[in-house]
Amino acid sequence: MAKSMEELMELIDKIPDTPAKPGEFILPELMAIAIAHEVHNDDVVFAGTGLPMVGIMTANFTNAPKATLIYESGICDGKTMHVPMSVCDQRAANMSSTLGGLVDTFGYYLQQGYVTLGFLGGAAIDKYGGVNVTSIGDYYNPSHRFTGSGGNSDIGTMAHRVAYIILQEKRRFLERNDYTTTPGWWCWDFKTNEWKPKKEVWKNTAYANNGPCGVVTNMGVYRFDAEGIIYLETCHPGITVEQVKDNCGFDLNVSKLTGDTPCPTYQELFILREFVDPELIFLPAKTPYTPDIQAIIDKG
Amino acid sequence: MARIRGKSKTAEILTLDAAVKKYALSGSQIAFSGFTGFNRNPFAFAWEMVRQGVKDIHSIDRHGSCCTWLLNAASAIKIFETDWMGWGEMAGKLDINLGRNYKAGKVILEDYAHGAMAMRFLAGAIGAPFIPYNAPLGSDLYNEKYDALGKAGLRDGKNPKIAKKKFIQMEEPFWGNGDTVLLPAAMPDLAVIHVAKAGDKGTAHWRGVGTIDKEISFACDKVVIIAEEIVPEAEMRKYPEANQIPYFVVDAIVECPWGAFPSSVPYYYDYDAPFMRVMDAASRNPDDLNKFLDEWVYAPASWEEFLIKQGAKKLLDLKAESTGYSTRMLRGKKPAPRMKMPLSVARSGY
Repeated sequence: MAKSMEELMELIDKIPDTPAKPGEFILPELMAIAIAHEVHNDDVVFAGTGLPMVGIMTANFTNAPKATLIYESGICDGKTMHVPMSVCDQRAANMSSTLGGLVDTFGYYLQQGYVTLGFLGGAAIDKYGGVNVTSIGDYYNPSHRFTGSGGNSDIGTMAHRVAYIILQEKRRFLERNDYTTTPGWWCWDFKTNEWKPKKEVWKNTAYANNGPCGVVTNMGVYRFDAEGIIYLETCHPGITVEQVKDNCGFDLNVSKLTGDTPCPTYQELFILREFVDPELIFLPAKTPYTPDIQAIIDKG
Repeated sequence: MARIRGKSKTAEILTLDAAVKKYALSGSQIAFSGFTGFNRNPFAFAWEMVRQGVKDIHSIDRHGSCCTWLLNAASAIKIFETDWMGWGEMAGKLDINLGRNYKAGKVILEDYAHGAMAMRFLAGAIGAPFIPYNAPLGSDLYNEKYDALGKAGLRDGKNPKIAKKKFIQMEEPFWGNGDTVLLPAAMPDLAVIHVAKAGDKGTAHWRGVGTIDKEISFACDKVVIIAEEIVPEAEMRKYPEANQIPYFVVDAIVECPWGAFPSSVPYYYDYDAPFMRVMDAASRNPDDLNKFLDEWVYAPASWEEFLIKQGAKKLLDLKAESTGYSTRMLRGKKPAPRMKMPLSVARSGY
């Protein structure tokens, strides 16, 4: 007999908040929860469609219940019951504080400086956290053409800090992007045609100190050093440093590696599976629970 | 730019095919309402445009939507001035029809960003010629090398709807706040706005997010409102603070129930994810696409027949519940759970 959502809610605190073991969860679950860990309770988060949205919804249900979620279509602090498929899904607007439009979110909230954390995807990233969601190869005759910026370039530069989720491959982790949609810690100064620290290009603007704070991939979690250069912080369980380096198009700094990415806890996995995406829209399949967790669930 | 008018507009009530015939002219600049393929896309209007063979559209917009998907499927878009062209696998990847047309050199793509397009429409709406915006310095979006309309020789001032420059980066002259970017106003020929309700004089209302539909309505020369229902104007005056578009910007009103299908109209009906997947799958090869267009666009005698072909069961499943959306439609691999309260609120309040 399937349990009601109320009965499942009652169960949350009975599920141990201890780390699961590798093999007891799948990679998208690890990534969604790694994203959730980037969110603080006092953040105003502006997230893009897809896994970033799943991640911040998970954060709102676990470690950051008071975080404010902004979605670019005009939604301020949606309290979501069903996972939205898009940033303008009415599901994302459920019980929101106010509903406006793009001028509200990109002007009143973002340009005005209220957004503390942006969470975005990307097709490729450079060593300095610059992101490409536009095209690979010659811009006018590209080998790959992607969707284009959307909110990426605005959110990625006007949010105080920004985190990305990117599929890691050699051709996506680059010394320099073919096209920079969203500049990272270093970028071109088109007035002088020099490659410079972003702080100098953005000098005197309110946004000079904003920039990427982390990157979550299918292989690890990355941070940026004081020079604005990416380094490997943790490898996902089962992934070796060599595998990470083989899937990186530049000489990656791995000297600051602290170990494995923390495994999600049983409680986090329970919340993700039962409350965030039980419809299996973003998660490929429902991973079975371990026998002892299943016993807790069955017992009620 | 402002358009000084000597007398008020008077909105006329038209049928869908008459509105398309009168307002959707080949070669014109058009903006559609909603946001992405999921919310208030005036799909019936785009559907009728394709049936009437409207061509060479300059779509000036900020999203890949059900409308632009269909217009690209029929190769009716010549210039796509926008910032996000997702539709593949239903959002995160490039619209496949657009990708094919782009590769064949049939469409010019001009890239901006969501915030930039919102500001351009805001400028257009308030009659300002341009607007300063803290667009990302160092982004190739604001690199003079990458100006598709300029490269195509279209920024020569001959077309009054195409700005002479894509952008201007300048030192902010009032406060010493570093550099800022000036963006030209957007002011297309036609706005097509799908709303929940319109009064018979033209006052219009929707629930849910506003996207930039109010700004688009004021920025465009002509405004066609597609409404789920037309009600007596008096009905709209009971709660005027809930209305977004005043009647005097409206040129025509079309009553077209389910006219935003397969996108959603919050509190009326939800989006049809399975049908959107069918659209995306059809675009993967030209034969399938032609079959799709024949079956779903050209064969039905009217929009009503298109809906009848979709089936009553599906339309009932999509009908919105009190939350504004439907939990009866299978969006993923499992049915939606029956929720009473968001988990975050249940556990931690606001």
